[in-house]
Amino acid sequence: MDTDPPPSDGLSRRSFLRTSAVLSAGVAAVAAGLAPLRRLGQFTSVDEFLQKYYKELTPEEMKVVLARIEDEVQRQYGIRPHVRDYKPANGVEFVYALNLTRCVGCRKCVHACVAENNQSRNPEIQYIRVLKMPNDGTFDMDKGDHDYAPKSVPQPGFFFMPVQCHQCKNPPCVKVCPVKATWQEPDGITVIDYNWCIGCRYCEAACPYFARRFNFTAPSIPSDQLNLNMSYLGNRPRYKGVMEKCHFCTQRTRAGRYPACVEVCPTGSRKFGNILDPDSEVSYILRNKRVLVLKAELGTLPRFFYYFDV
Amino acid sequence: MPLPRKTAIVLALQTLGFAVLAYAFVRVPARPGVVSRQPLVSQGALAIVPGTVRISAAQLIQGGGDASGLACYACHHQDSPPEVKPGPDNRIELPKEHSDLILSMRNCAECHPPDDPVALNYDANGVVLVPKGHEGLLAMAHGRTFRNNNCYNCHDRGQLDQLHTPDGEKLTFSQATLLCASCHGPTYRDWRAGAHGRTGGYWDRAAGPIKREECTSCHDPHAPAFTGLIPMPGPHLLHPSQGPAAAKPAGNDHGH
Repeated sequence: MDTDPPPSDGLSRRSFLRTSAVLSAGVAAVAAGLAPLRRLGQFTSVDEFLQKYYKELTPEEMKVVLARIEDEVQRQYGIRPHVRDYKPANGVEFVYALNLTRCVGCRKCVHACVAENNQSRNPEIQYIRVLKMPNDGTFDMDKGDHDYAPKSVPQPGFFFMPVQCHQCKNPPCVKVCPVKATWQEPDGITVIDYNWCIGCRYCEAACPYFARRFNFTAPSIPSDQLNLNMSYLGNRPRYKGVMEKCHFCTQRTRAGRYPACVEVCPTGSRKFGNILDPDSEVSYILRNKRVLVLKAELGTLPRFFYYFDV
Repeated sequence: MPLPRKTAIVLALQTLGFAVLAYAFVRVPARPGVVSRQPLVSQGALAIVPGTVRISAAQLIQGGGDASGLACYACHHQDSPPEVKPGPDNRIELPKEHSDLILSMRNCAECHPPDDPVALNYDANGVVLVPKGHEGLLAMAHGRTFRNNNCYNCHDRGQLDQLHTPDGEKLTFSQATLLCASCHGPTYRDWRAGAHGRTGGYWDRAAGPIKREECTSCHDPHAPAFTGLIPMPGPHLLHPSQGPAAAKPAGNDHGH
């Protein structure tokens, strides 16, 4: 046939090719634009996206959530962890006491905490910051040095002051959270629901003790170093873009054990226990020792006390 | 109206291409970011691994371990007790065959992980060569004055593995804590209340036992003051430098 296609067709070869080229370029551009979303890897399932607020979850729903988190960890690290939702016990209020006379600044607590609580190794996240303070009677955190690296500690002329979450009774971080993703539990531990946190970092700014850490990127933990004893509000692997902080090792302390930093301290400077039990070591310390509260003037009422032997 | 053949082919190819693109978008996993798997700290350096708390002579006897090396008079004669020779700097000069006896009283594993134990070197006379960083190790240095540097303040003159308090109360090695308490009353009070000394295990007595240490688990009775520790790496070691000296795990640094 040598006749031209009828002009009323409206679809010449040229216009079709042009339109389809523009269309496919558009589709490719949209795909390329959306590609970074795939790397988020965060909302791996609709279930996760639609998960309810922690306090609204029924025990049955919690079971499903915990199983899903175990699946996620197994997919990512190749090992199946044991994730539990440890609840606060009645008649228990945790208090921490740290002996500034004994602490030598060896930083074993920092690294034991990293190992216990599955903190990101790269980029590095550490809950405990040990400050080398001039021994001139000051407790001004700004005068502390956290980069000290002498051949041997302790150093004359300095004392060492580890700082971590103080688990305040009047926590500024909880007040500023716009979505109530962080709250104080009856046993005194301020916890974070990593699935509810939106990553606005208001709490980080509100904390006077610089205790909160933000996951600027997805945390990286070598699979063989993963601590498989996990708790929902504690040391399960975090997501990119959420806050985390010391939670007194909920996976240990709510099972009756001491936190990792207490067990590892070679000088016995770290003490932990139930303040409602008059026979606990922290009760003894608060009754008998000189005790210091960091930044007491702020009225945060920490449950973390520094004390002295002499 | 049928499409021209060429148009139909192009349309089909483009549909196919789009389908392939869509499939790849959904199925091909995103490339993960490159992260270093190098741990900053040797895991053996953390004292959570078992065996890092040293066994003192008292614990060894309590635990039913081989304490034959402690019975001095199995070899030495009662009437001529072994002479303890303090060298210069008040350091006890140990014969080679007794090196394990005294050195085992230090918690070497606090700094030297179990997978990297300490090797002892001896000079021509069989005396342990003490590394520079550890010079306080074998010193007889109980207290800031040297008044308590006498063996028989604590050990029985005729039987070295028998202890006695200043009041003359006889104690065995496994009761060494009571001997310490006879002078260090306030510290003993704190220790009994749990406010002094390392603890582990369970804070909740209903859930499990608490793990406590005796005085001699952490303090060398001959030189009770702590000699110092190598600090573990500080924060912000995001990109450890490749030099041999930098970013070396603290646990592997012998300090000499």
